[in-house]
Amino acid sequence: MKNNNSIENHGLSIKTVNTITNTFIYIFLIAMSIIWLVPFVGIVLESLRVETTGQVSYFVPQQFGFDNYIRLFESDFPKWFLNTLLMGVVVSVLQTGFILSMSYTLSRLRFKGRKTLMNLMLILGMFPGFLSMILIYKVFADLGLTEANAPIGLIIVYCASSGMGYYVSKGFFDTIPKSLDEAARIDGATRWQVFYKVIMPLSKPIIIYTILMGFMAPWGDYMLARFLINNNRDGMNVAVGMYKWLNGGGDSKFRNYTMFCAAGVCVSVPVTIVFMSLQKYYVEGVTGGAVKG
Amino acid sequence: MASVKLTNVKKIYGKDTVAVNDFNLDIADKEFIVFVGPSGCGKSTTLRMIAGLEEISEGTVEIDGVVVNDLQPRDRDIAMVFQNYALYPHLSVFENMAFSLRLKKVPQDEVYARVTNAAEILGITEYLTRKPRALSGGQRQRVAIGRAMVRDSKVFLMDEPLSNLDAKLRNQMRAEIILLRKKIDTTFIYVTHDQTEAMTLGDRIVIMKDGFIQQVGTPTQVFDMPHNLFVAEFIGAPKMNTFKTRLVREGGKYYVTPYGAKIEVTGDKATKLAERYVDSREIVLGVRPEHITLADKNDPAAIGCTIQVNEMMGSELHLHVVVDGGDKLIVRIPTVSLTDEERARLVYGEKMYITFEGKVMHFFNPETEQNILA
Amino acid sequence: MKKLNSLEYLKLSKSQALWYDVRMFFCAIPGWLKSLFVGLWKYIQNFGENVKDEVLDIINTFKKGNWAVKLSFLVFGLGNLYYGQVLRGILFLVFELVFIVYMALPSGGIYWINKVNWFITGQTVGREQGGLKYNPVTDTYGWVEGDDSVRVLLYGLLSVIFIVAFIATWRMQVKQCRINMDIKEKRRKINSAKDDLKSLLDEQFYKTLLTPSLLGILVFTVLPIIYMIIIAFTNYDAAHDGHANLFSWVGLTNFNEFTNFGSDGLSAALGEMVGWTLMWAFFATFTNYFAGMFVAIVINKKGIRFKKLWRTILVMTIAVPQFVSLLYVGRLFDRQGVIGSFLESANLIPESMIAQNDYSLWDNPLTAKILYIVINLWIGVPYVMLQATGILMNIPADLYESSRVDGANSFQQFTKITLPYMLFVTGPSLLTSFVGNLNNFNVIYLLNGGGPVNTKFGTMGGTQVGHSDLLITFLFKVTTGGESRYYLASVLGIFVFIVVALLSLVVYNVMPSTKNEEDYS
Repeated sequence: MKNNNSIENHGLSIKTVNTITNTFIYIFLIAMSIIWLVPFVGIVLESLRVETTGQVSYFVPQQFGFDNYIRLFESDFPKWFLNTLLMGVVVSVLQTGFILSMSYTLSRLRFKGRKTLMNLMLILGMFPGFLSMILIYKVFADLGLTEANAPIGLIIVYCASSGMGYYVSKGFFDTIPKSLDEAARIDGATRWQVFYKVIMPLSKPIIIYTILMGFMAPWGDYMLARFLINNNRDGMNVAVGMYKWLNGGGDSKFRNYTMFCAAGVCVSVPVTIVFMSLQKYYVEGVTGGAVKG
Repeated sequence: MASVKLTNVKKIYGKDTVAVNDFNLDIADKEFIVFVGPSGCGKSTTLRMIAGLEEISEGTVEIDGVVVNDLQPRDRDIAMVFQNYALYPHLSVFENMAFSLRLKKVPQDEVYARVTNAAEILGITEYLTRKPRALSGGQRQRVAIGRAMVRDSKVFLMDEPLSNLDAKLRNQMRAEIILLRKKIDTTFIYVTHDQTEAMTLGDRIVIMKDGFIQQVGTPTQVFDMPHNLFVAEFIGAPKMNTFKTRLVREGGKYYVTPYGAKIEVTGDKATKLAERYVDSREIVLGVRPEHITLADKNDPAAIGCTIQVNEMMGSELHLHVVVDGGDKLIVRIPTVSLTDEERARLVYGEKMYITFEGKVMHFFNPETEQNILA
Repeated sequence: MKKLNSLEYLKLSKSQALWYDVRMFFCAIPGWLKSLFVGLWKYIQNFGENVKDEVLDIINTFKKGNWAVKLSFLVFGLGNLYYGQVLRGILFLVFELVFIVYMALPSGGIYWINKVNWFITGQTVGREQGGLKYNPVTDTYGWVEGDDSVRVLLYGLLSVIFIVAFIATWRMQVKQCRINMDIKEKRRKINSAKDDLKSLLDEQFYKTLLTPSLLGILVFTVLPIIYMIIIAFTNYDAAHDGHANLFSWVGLTNFNEFTNFGSDGLSAALGEMVGWTLMWAFFATFTNYFAGMFVAIVINKKGIRFKKLWRTILVMTIAVPQFVSLLYVGRLFDRQGVIGSFLESANLIPESMIAQNDYSLWDNPLTAKILYIVINLWIGVPYVMLQATGILMNIPADLYESSRVDGANSFQQFTKITLPYMLFVTGPSLLTSFVGNLNNFNVIYLLNGGGPVNTKFGTMGGTQVGHSDLLITFLFKVTTGGESRYYLASVLGIFVFIVVALLSLVVYNVMPSTKNEEDYS
């Protein structure tokens, strides 16, 4: 303490300044945590509310109970949940295949037209994806892939063009030294063997990241899903179905508000568990993506 | 074990960036060839063309008399050691070394025999179960060499294998490569930017610059008779002193006249000059630092100069001096030849006199930079 | 303006240097435009050269070729068959046969292409209107199926694409003849079918990997986009759909609507929308960016404990599906919602708003817009925080140490080291998130549907325009609204594309990361 004072004559030692800033930071962090957590606490409380199904102006229910959850399982919700789960699982597998093959090729193989291809995809990506849904809807309607069968149609839509989202995993592949491929090729590997014997075993983090992203996408999509499902209760995913509960009634007093919250909890818990357990890979993907663009 | 022949090999990037130009070389069976040159000279590109990692724009590469231009690397029967080792991080040392054998579906007992044998030679048996990540730089280097050895291939390519190691380890590994070569007895092509490595390892050295071969020869040949100024300055450390001066022919004898001094050319060089009827002319004179000696002030061959830096290397003393003409020279004097008194005198700011040994001077044409006697 | 050399530039004071930089930036704009056009021109020239080379190559192949090669100009694959490439030859031949048969069929390619009436203003897409029609032969009224414009246009377009593919294939097989001739000349081995298949796992592995992806993109992105661009030249909407109501070509009418300036026309509504879209993207991106970075720095500060806990709390928002959290948080601010009703009962709603009957923050255009941005912070900060944390850890510690020795305080360290470093590294992803926000459907639509409704414009394109509608949410509303004005959606889509493309072009030119790539490496 004394040493510090003799150098800095401002009166406060470095240590004191530090303690004060840290105190402020802790206050800030605690306030922040409250803001970020309140909605989650709120949604859980709301889902346990018994006295009304509408929206009310107080936070804590007057009467606790599982009525909303019971009604949930009598409604179409389980169907929507399974639809979404099915989409999540299938999409995560197919999409990973598409994205990995595209990004691996663009990152590590050299061929004529590679640059042109990347530029073309960049330009294509500037069109709003929703635009293509109009034609796709018409064609899918003819093929019977909309409404009740919308989950199948949506799987195709989510996966078919997913190769265009190659950026993050290409960034990952770019960081693996090229000489590894070369060494393997001299050791006698074909490019296919290089791919599955050398590069794939090294790419676990990005594979898991891609799977995670593919799994999460159908849970949050409203725009494309709403369009293909077209109000058919059998084909809905959770987002479209639950949106109806909130906005269907017109007057917000008659919203199925508490049931929406109960459904929200049912959807969030499994997805959050999956996400949190694979969080490490998500973080790697996010930061890698930032560095590589 | 095989010969390698490169005929008019050319590498062009894009439309007109030439990386390697008209490369012709015959490499004999079991020869140790070193490609050396500054970075960007095309030495690695040439090696990679032999390996099949780069397409050959023009010309042919033959291994054992077979044109391999269109063959994939795996069909060329070559092994290669990379600068950054390129070990497979997810495989153990054993599996790294066995990788090529596994691809060829060699039976397990043979794989075991070959890998352990190579590991023994390289002294890495105890690390066989480890992952590369748990090894030191030198150990990784050995694994990389081991992986190439196991292949038992016709040609052994090495792309700057030592440049990622620290100085001490590099010297040690260099010695080991010399020993290794005796044991595996195959054709080696070795790329480096370090002239010491080139001189100590190569049976023959290929010196390259800007995609062109400058000279091919044994270490002694390139040291004693550099074909041009570039080779002269590139080979040897500290580098050769070169400066413009005049060669004078007087009564059947030759003299050089640097900085007002007059030094007679003697020995072999004088004979060669006479044989070629070289007349008096402007030249670039090359003198290696070790061929400069201290001279007496009154000697007509003495050149006056001032010491700028003195570097005491232990067995020898390196002096950076400025001659009266303004040029800078490096002088290298064995310390055993100096008395204590002389040593005390050879310090910053002191005036001294030097002369050149007449029989080991090099003469270059100032325009073409070619050696007049080559 | 005179360009200063580096020593002259260093002489300038800080403000002079800034002023110089700003002026140089604007002076550089003509330069970019010029280089853009020069680039385009070069590209066209290059393209011309390539076409010339191709044509010469084709002519040469024909001249040099033997009878099989010459004949393969008409019969696909003969060149391959002659040189022993049976599989390739047969595939080419089958392709040609399929093409000819398809085109010539009574309801095949030619039939459809004819029906489209390509771009002739006033003509319908498809020739025959469906419905009850008089049949003079049988003297009865009968139900005629008629054409369906959507299908007619789709099949017509597909047939055109088929023709393009046919020409490309023709060129490909002619080229292969030439390659085979060359190989024969050099007395090398011609690839057999087995070699071809093997090379798909080696030299041509990229083809194997790319084909499924590219096929998917072609069918589900490229084709629909081309189709929708064409729709912009028609009057396709709910009233012109199905067999009974063909839609027709209208030329540039749809685009003219946008140049129809008026205070309550579509162009005015669109102008407001573009303005808000850009403003939204700007604020959404940068508030998130700086707030996220701030949080990351604070958590990362030496001596702060429970780092992992703080981060995990934030990351929860990413884990919970967005539509759940967005819908819930949005409703909290409703008049009936917990926060909304609290604001009202605590008299925190300004008088001026109540005077306009705006009882919740969602009802007033200005407060609604602010609310969107604030709630977006709640959604976006965790994401930026994660990104920033990763990058902060990569900033070499000795930079901070040396700056402290040089006498910088922590604020100066932030502005002189952290911020430039972050901006440099995250430049490209900042652009990505900006573009992402331009099209951020979820946040706007799920929070409050782009509301409040902009009464000035009434219904437009069959839907109500919201004060906070982005181009993308409006596009969605136009498409799903009662009148389903697909042609309008298509024009809007083209509009979005132009906005995004222009912005990307400018940002790409300004961004430091693309210019001095090595600065921080």
